Amino acid sequence: MITNESPGGKIKGLFSNRIVFVLAVILAFLAFLYFSRGISIILTILIQVTIFSIITMSLNLESGYAGIPQFGRVAAVIAGAFAVGAIPGRIMAAFMGLPAGAEYASDTVNFKLVPEINALLASSWLVSLGFLIMCLVLAALSGALIGWLISRPAIRLKEGYLGISMLAIGDFFMWVGHNWNIIVGGSTPVNVPDPFRVFGTDRFTVIVPVFFVIAILIFIYLNKLTQSPFGRNLRMLRDNDLSANAAGLNIVKVRTQALVIGAAIAAIGGGLYVIYTGSVAAIGLTRLTFTFWPWAYMMLGGIGSNIGVFLGVFLLTILRTMIIIFRSTWFGFLLQVGIDPLWLEYTLLGAVIIIVILFMPHGLVPEKIAPMLPSKRIKKVLADRQAVSK
Amino acid sequence: MAPWMSSGLIYASGLAMTAGSITLLYIVTRTFNFAVASMATIGFIVVYTGVSLYGGLPYQYYPFVLIIGAITGVICYYGLNRPLLYRKAAETTLMMSTLGYDLILLSLIQMYSDYLTYTFKLFPRRVTMSVFDFELYGESAATFILPITAIACLTILHFFLTKTKFGIAMRATIENPTLAGASGINSDRVYLVSWIISGSMAALGGSFMAMAMTGTPVMGMVTIPLMFAGAILGGLGNIYGGILGGMVIGLTEYAGVYFLAKQFGPWILGYRMGIPLFIMAATLLVFPRGLSGIPLGKIIKNLFGQKRGASA
Amino acid sequence: MLTVKNLNSGYGKLQVLYDLNIEVPEKGLTVVVGPNGAGKTTLLCSIMNIATVFSGEITFGGEPLTGVVTHKLAQKGISYVPQMGNVFAELTVLDNLHMAGYMLSKAEANDKAAQMTEIFPVLKKFIHRLAGTLSGGERRMLAIAMGLMKNPKLMLLDELSTDLAPIIAERVMVEVARMRDELGITILMVEQMARRALEIGDTAYLLVSGEVRYSGQADSLLHEPELCSMYLGIKQTAGKGGSAKLSVSDEGSENS
Repeated sequence: MITNESPGGKIKGLFSNRIVFVLAVILAFLAFLYFSRGISIILTILIQVTIFSIITMSLNLESGYAGIPQFGRVAAVIAGAFAVGAIPGRIMAAFMGLPAGAEYASDTVNFKLVPEINALLASSWLVSLGFLIMCLVLAALSGALIGWLISRPAIRLKEGYLGISMLAIGDFFMWVGHNWNIIVGGSTPVNVPDPFRVFGTDRFTVIVPVFFVIAILIFIYLNKLTQSPFGRNLRMLRDNDLSANAAGLNIVKVRTQALVIGAAIAAIGGGLYVIYTGSVAAIGLTRLTFTFWPWAYMMLGGIGSNIGVFLGVFLLTILRTMIIIFRSTWFGFLLQVGIDPLWLEYTLLGAVIIIVILFMPHGLVPEKIAPMLPSKRIKKVLADRQAVSK
Repeated sequence: MAPWMSSGLIYASGLAMTAGSITLLYIVTRTFNFAVASMATIGFIVVYTGVSLYGGLPYQYYPFVLIIGAITGVICYYGLNRPLLYRKAAETTLMMSTLGYDLILLSLIQMYSDYLTYTFKLFPRRVTMSVFDFELYGESAATFILPITAIACLTILHFFLTKTKFGIAMRATIENPTLAGASGINSDRVYLVSWIISGSMAALGGSFMAMAMTGTPVMGMVTIPLMFAGAILGGLGNIYGGILGGMVIGLTEYAGVYFLAKQFGPWILGYRMGIPLFIMAATLLVFPRGLSGIPLGKIIKNLFGQKRGASA
Repeated sequence: MLTVKNLNSGYGKLQVLYDLNIEVPEKGLTVVVGPNGAGKTTLLCSIMNIATVFSGEITFGGEPLTGVVTHKLAQKGISYVPQMGNVFAELTVLDNLHMAGYMLSKAEANDKAAQMTEIFPVLKKFIHRLAGTLSGGERRMLAIAMGLMKNPKLMLLDELSTDLAPIIAERVMVEVARMRDELGITILMVEQMARRALEIGDTAYLLVSGEVRYSGQADSLLHEPELCSMYLGIKQTAGKGGSAKLSVSDEGSENS
């Protein structure tokens, strides 16, 4: 967030005490994990942080800025994941003269096909880059399309109705993917060609900076967007849609735009997720992971603040990972009565949501409304006007 | 009876109870209760624990289901919903808070299931509850008992809301909280009672649904969109609408899958969730306020040419 | 009987009333008048603890009321008739009366309801009808009857005459005066129909933008031509003064 003060104040606004404190906690956790488990766990955390930051930022655009109760975030993520799982591989297969129709997704064919595509990708980093860009573009397009389709019937509904309808749509998408073999293999996961194969064993080390760059680009884009007049419209809509309408704002249009942009970004997140995991299993794209967790990240970080979203994702991802890693050492007392400590992840998720709502409704980094122009520009414009009037 | 009808009726009675529970809570407290998912699962878990550890019929554990459902409701009200209601929180915040509660309940249910497996060698992750049922007139007894139980519960609820002083006070608070407060009605108690009723209704509904579908610790989590669909189809305006909505959703799912699979082949089974959602969308397009928004009185009047009576 | 001292209140963060002082004498009819948005309804809501009270003191018969939950105020003998939604439209007239007397015992409530149907015969006719099907005037009568159900010591009436035909509004006013004269109830009344209210009232307060602009005898406010024409839309036609010669002009001249 950029504040309207002098350069010193700007830095201060960016790194207020609370942000510094949270960052210190995150770094301490990371250091602890690094020394106890090595670098690979850090890389996994960083990759997850970038992917979920992207998804949560898109949620923040729709729910935080525009006030749409987006309980179907998973729908757009699924759109991106399916697009990346189904289309680029087929294009490559057709290009290489391999079967690219319905049989591409069948489990008896797919596991032979994808290694061949991977072999081609591994031969040249240029082809790999092109493939990655194609994946992202396809994901964004299909996300935007799905976002638009969902917005058609849903946009006129009220708060709760809208949220519930979106929840149902998200679930329906998952079942379609799970049952319709042609898209991503139905109940048997389809493999995704790996554009990072070219780097061999350094795969994860390269994925981290690449994903980070994508996330930062999206962050910059969203910051620009929310500080433009469009962002102001969104906030107006969120705070009072009736008066926004009375002021001449086309609610349906603005909401549709927010939903389409948000869905496109979330779909990029979904696409990156399946590129990272290397396969698409529809049943794994649950509303728990891709709707409820992003909500928790956003609420902890601070609704309407993208820096906050990043911190929220980082902090909670570390906590989740720690539950998984240390389940036998820290939660042995549960194992002794046969309880899998992994369920504590749900407890953590629920507890975070409740604690944030009850005790810190504004999250770690409360939203700051920055003026549309930096103060220097405003002063300059005013000075120019005065000069003209004289 | 056709094969789909028996399980469809059982399932629909369960959905009707859960959808009614959602609607009741929404009209009293403006809270879309996500926790209905886990409350329903709790209903199943309680009955399952009872029949597999102590034997007997599923039905004899329903009193416990009601009590435990009510307790989960009371905890949620005092721990979460009450402070938010006094803070006049937004609808979305109320909804999110029950989601948090639902996830905590879900984790507890999962842990309890692990514990059951470890200690008693029971497997609550894939349960066909109907094996504990007995047969009546060539059908499983649940086909008759559960719809009748559901109707009995609704009759009691109706009697409570229209004939008792507190029930009327509840309706008064629903309609006009300010005036009800000024009249001396304690809204706090009204909210508490609605959480109790809603919690026990949800748990009972879950134990009904388990008689028709595979009981798992995530059965509530999986079916929650349908419960909400029932409530929304009912229009969220009155409890009877919600109950009717749940009934319609449940029956169309079973009937729709049966007839469509007969027509187009068994692949349609995978998309069974789409049928009730489609019904919901279609109904909302024609009647934007759901089933309870259908001007039934007007239609009947037109049909029979009746004059407007003294009571509406 | 009811004393409001240095009251600052509003809704959420929005302050509506500023440093308000009001005294309601026992068995008297106190009238609060003023333009739209002056905070008249907020005053009643603050007394009922529906609005947010920031600071100040409200006492009733020497007992502090600030911080007392709304539903407990009814037990103390305060009865509030809101402007909008003053009956339960989806309940029958009888249920409405019983709900209004919620803290009475069953026998008491039955007695009281019978008594109300004596006083307002129109209610007897429609006793099993839904309140939502009553006409505007009948609803207002029901609202007053509901206010009386609690055996109140103090009644807060919020704009009883709005949206009523003039002749019915007049009847409502007569009922209000009768409540004071025959039942000896202390009344605090907020009214748009300023002229008529000031005629029947004992003491009056003129509220403008959340502050008291005038307080004193009700009919002497009618002799303040400037205040009357500026805030109440009352013009003196003959220019000689005297309440009989006042007329009500359009109420559009109000500003908030």
